[in-house]
Amino acid sequence: MRVDNLDQALSETLHQEVQEEAYRIEQLEERVVSEIEGRVPRRGIGDVFRRMLAPSRGARIGQLATVGLTAIIFLTLGVFLSGKIFPSHHAELTPIVSAAANGENQVLFVMPAPGAHSVSVVGNFNGWEATPLTDKNGDGIWTASIPLPDGRYEYAFVVDGKWWGQDPLADGYVHSFGEYNSVRYVGQVGGGA
Amino acid sequence: MYHVQDEVSLLRASLAGETDAWGEIVVRYKEAVFGLCLGFLRNRADAEDLTHDAFIRAYTNLHRYKLEKKFSTWLFTVASNLCRNRLRYRRYHPVIAPPDYVKGGNDPAHIVAAEDRNSAVRQAIDRLPVSYRAPLVLRYYNELSYKEIAEVLSLPEGTIKTRIHRGKLLLKKDMEKDGVVYYESG
Repeated sequence: MRVDNLDQALSETLHQEVQEEAYRIEQLEERVVSEIEGRVPRRGIGDVFRRMLAPSRGARIGQLATVGLTAIIFLTLGVFLSGKIFPSHHAELTPIVSAAANGENQVLFVMPAPGAHSVSVVGNFNGWEATPLTDKNGDGIWTASIPLPDGRYEYAFVVDGKWWGQDPLADGYVHSFGEYNSVRYVGQVGGGA
Repeated sequence: MYHVQDEVSLLRASLAGETDAWGEIVVRYKEAVFGLCLGFLRNRADAEDLTHDAFIRAYTNLHRYKLEKKFSTWLFTVASNLCRNRLRYRRYHPVIAPPDYVKGGNDPAHIVAAEDRNSAVRQAIDRLPVSYRAPLVLRYYNELSYKEIAEVLSLPEGTIKTRIHRGKLLLKKDMEKDGVVYYESG
C-alpha cells in the first residue's frame, strides 16, 4: 500500500464506512419528526422580543393580548395604589358631594347592583349601622344621599347581606380585619383627617 | 452543495415549529452527521443513536443558531459535543464486543487481503486516539476547512493543523508497523 495516498485513502475509507451502514439512517427523518411533533424550539429572551416587534402574524395576537392585559392590570393597580398612597385632597370638587344649607355636605353614595334585593351603606359616619340605598326607577343603580360634615369617612356597601368594600367612586381603600373598606374625603380635609 | 437560500427558509420554518421543515434538514444532513459520529465513535450503534440525538438537540436549541453563520458548522458542533460526552461515558462503560470494524463491516470473510487498503486504514483509525481522529474525520469525511474544524472542536486553528499532520503520521506508522496484511480471529 502506498502511504503517499493516505489523504485519498482516508476519505474513501470514511465514506465507504458510512455507505455500508447507511441503512441505519434511512428513516431517520421520520423518527425525528415524530419525536418533535408538537414541539417548538426553545426561545431565547432576545428572540422573544424580536418576534414580538416583528410584523404581526396570527400567532402573535396571543402575545400582544397578553401584553395588553398585563398593561391593563398594571394600570388598574397603579390607579388603585395612587389613590391609596396619594389620596385626593380635593374631595370637595367631586360632583357626588354638594353643599347643604346647614353647612354640611350632601354626599351621594351610588352602587350598581342589578337584581339585588337590598343595598345599604355602613360606615363610621353612621356608627356602622346600615343606611339603606334605594333604586326608585328599577334600573339597578342604588343611591342614597347622606348629609355629612367635612371629614374622612370609611365605609362599605352591603349588597343582599354581603360586604362590598371597594366603591369605584371612593377616594381610596383600606384593608382591615380581612376586608376592604372604601374611604372618602368630604370638604376641606387632608389625607390624615 | 446545498441551496443556501432554501436552507434559511427551512430553518426559519423550523424555528416557527414546522416540523416537516426540520425533517427536510434531517434528510440533507443525516449522512454527514452519521459519518461524523461513526468516525468519532467507531461504534455503529452509538453512531446511530447519537445522529438521532444530534437532530433532536439541534432542533430544541435552534434559537442559539445564528442564521448568518454556516448551519452545517453549528450542527457538527452539536454532534461533536454529543460524541465527546459518549466517549467520556464509554471510558467508564466500555463496549464488551471488539470494535465494529475489526471484523471488516458486513463482509463475512475475516481475512483482509493486503490489497484491501481501506480495511487497513479502518483499523489504523480505530486505534488512533480520538484527539487525532476527530479532526481527521472532519477534514477527510466532512471536508471542513481548518478554520471550521477549529470552530467545531473549540480548539485553535494551529492545534488542528498540528493534530491532522501528527494524526496522519501516526496512521502511517501504525500501518507500516503491522504491514498491510491483517488476519482477524473469530
